[in-house]
Amino acid sequence: MKKRLLAAVVSLACISLNVQAEIRINGFASIVAGQTLDDDTRLYGYDDDISYKNESMFALQLSSDLQDRLSATAQIVARGNKDFDAEFEWAYVSYQINDDLKVSGGKMRIPFYRYSDFLDVGYAYRWVRPPQSVYNFAFSTYEGLNLLHSTTLGDWDSTTQLIYGSFSGRVPSAAGATPEQVELNDLAGINWTISYDWFSARAAYIVAETTISASSVVGLTAALNGYGLNNQANSLLISEDDGAFFGLGFSIDYDNFLFDAEYTEIEVENSLLPDQTQYYASVGYRIDDWTVHLTYENNDDEHDSNRLNTVPASISGPNGTVIPVSLDPTNANSPLLRDVTNQVLLGAKQESSTVSVGARYDFHPSAALKVDLSRYNDDITDQDIDVLAVAIDLVF
Amino acid sequence: MKSQIALCLFMSAFYVNAEVAVIVNASNGNSLDKSAISKIYLGKSKSYADGTKVKAVAQTGTSVAKAFTQNVVGKSNSQFKAYWSKLIFTGKGTPPNPLSNDQAVIDFVMNNPEGIGYIDSAKVTDKVKVVGKF
Repeated sequence: MKKRLLAAVVSLACISLNVQAEIRINGFASIVAGQTLDDDTRLYGYDDDISYKNESMFALQLSSDLQDRLSATAQIVARGNKDFDAEFEWAYVSYQINDDLKVSGGKMRIPFYRYSDFLDVGYAYRWVRPPQSVYNFAFSTYEGLNLLHSTTLGDWDSTTQLIYGSFSGRVPSAAGATPEQVELNDLAGINWTISYDWFSARAAYIVAETTISASSVVGLTAALNGYGLNNQANSLLISEDDGAFFGLGFSIDYDNFLFDAEYTEIEVENSLLPDQTQYYASVGYRIDDWTVHLTYENNDDEHDSNRLNTVPASISGPNGTVIPVSLDPTNANSPLLRDVTNQVLLGAKQESSTVSVGARYDFHPSAALKVDLSRYNDDITDQDIDVLAVAIDLVF
Repeated sequence: MKSQIALCLFMSAFYVNAEVAVIVNASNGNSLDKSAISKIYLGKSKSYADGTKVKAVAQTGTSVAKAFTQNVVGKSNSQFKAYWSKLIFTGKGTPPNPLSNDQAVIDFVMNNPEGIGYIDSAKVTDKVKVVGKF
């Protein structure tokens, strides 16, 4: 990994020698200590032992104006939860077509959310981490193109972004579970942000042909296929299915009063992934170098009820025989695949709400100290999990 | 604690009262109001009214810088920094180059026809043009 970093520095340095461009180095870092407050609970990667590593990270950004209108940017990020292995999270080249229009190509952030672009730059927002009910995608970058149009409409600023590309990689599906292979092809999206001094609003729509290895249903789909029930098997697999993301958000920063809210919907048609809706609303108040805040989040994942009972209890065999569709057709007591499938679909249901309170103290021109206390409530089991985290966020 | 709060209030009052002069090159004929200057320092406008590219410089860590961000841009130092960190780390912009003091800003603006900067209004010389005092 060090070699890659070195190679990047050297190659950027070479570019600079050739065209005498200046390389700007900016960096940001977060040192976060956190833990859950009850025995045997896990949340946001924490358990009941204090961790200094889980959410800590360190990043360097190298950018260089190569020639008129052309620039190159690379962001190298080392995350504590990946043993501080340095990785290129961004690497792209931009061409400023005119004052309003810029095209970029390379590896960039998928603009799902309002804070997507600077998700890791803790210094840029008030929480220790953006509300996780909404900010819940395990992958955040894509390779492809991005067209950015910025303009002013009277006193309003308008930014429109179009993206096209793909993503491929292994991402963790849940805490402790084996990572699943995720492929997003024909990833295309548009988002629009308008802002006026203290107010800003944003809408985003992203689609992708989605394939995710779903190791948990491999056995079940093989069994369904064994009965010739290919449609039913395919409606569980996440294989080249249409995925769609929709997000709305707005924020207010008026005098010392802050308000943010985002609403998102995620759907991968015809797959074991449930329809998901999430939102959060957050208020904050600034008092000199202090900001205090309160946030409510909600997540609701559920399959439409018409997805249930699509697997027949039996199929007819040769000579009018009736064959039960079960895990083991020779055993009359074996569970029916219909029930197993229903179970999988019902098991995808998740409902949770989270309340967080926190404070940020800007104790230094380039650093902020934050404390957040979050209470996550699983609305199905009614279990509470509390997480306390203290962070220092820096930019340099 | 009380005396600390009092000190903070006193200091913020002090910074607000410091007068800042925004200066451009003597050859620059564009007129700039507070909102136009604010837009330049927020990276929202990159050219003067006549179409010339803007070359803006700032100051780093000085009381003039604090007064400028407060009086002209209407943001505290850390809000201004947070605002720019969003643009820097998304590749959407580069903040005005920070210089270390008033004299460095005067020199830059004198030598760059597209230059714009801000200084303590007591330090204004006739080698640069003042577009506004805030």
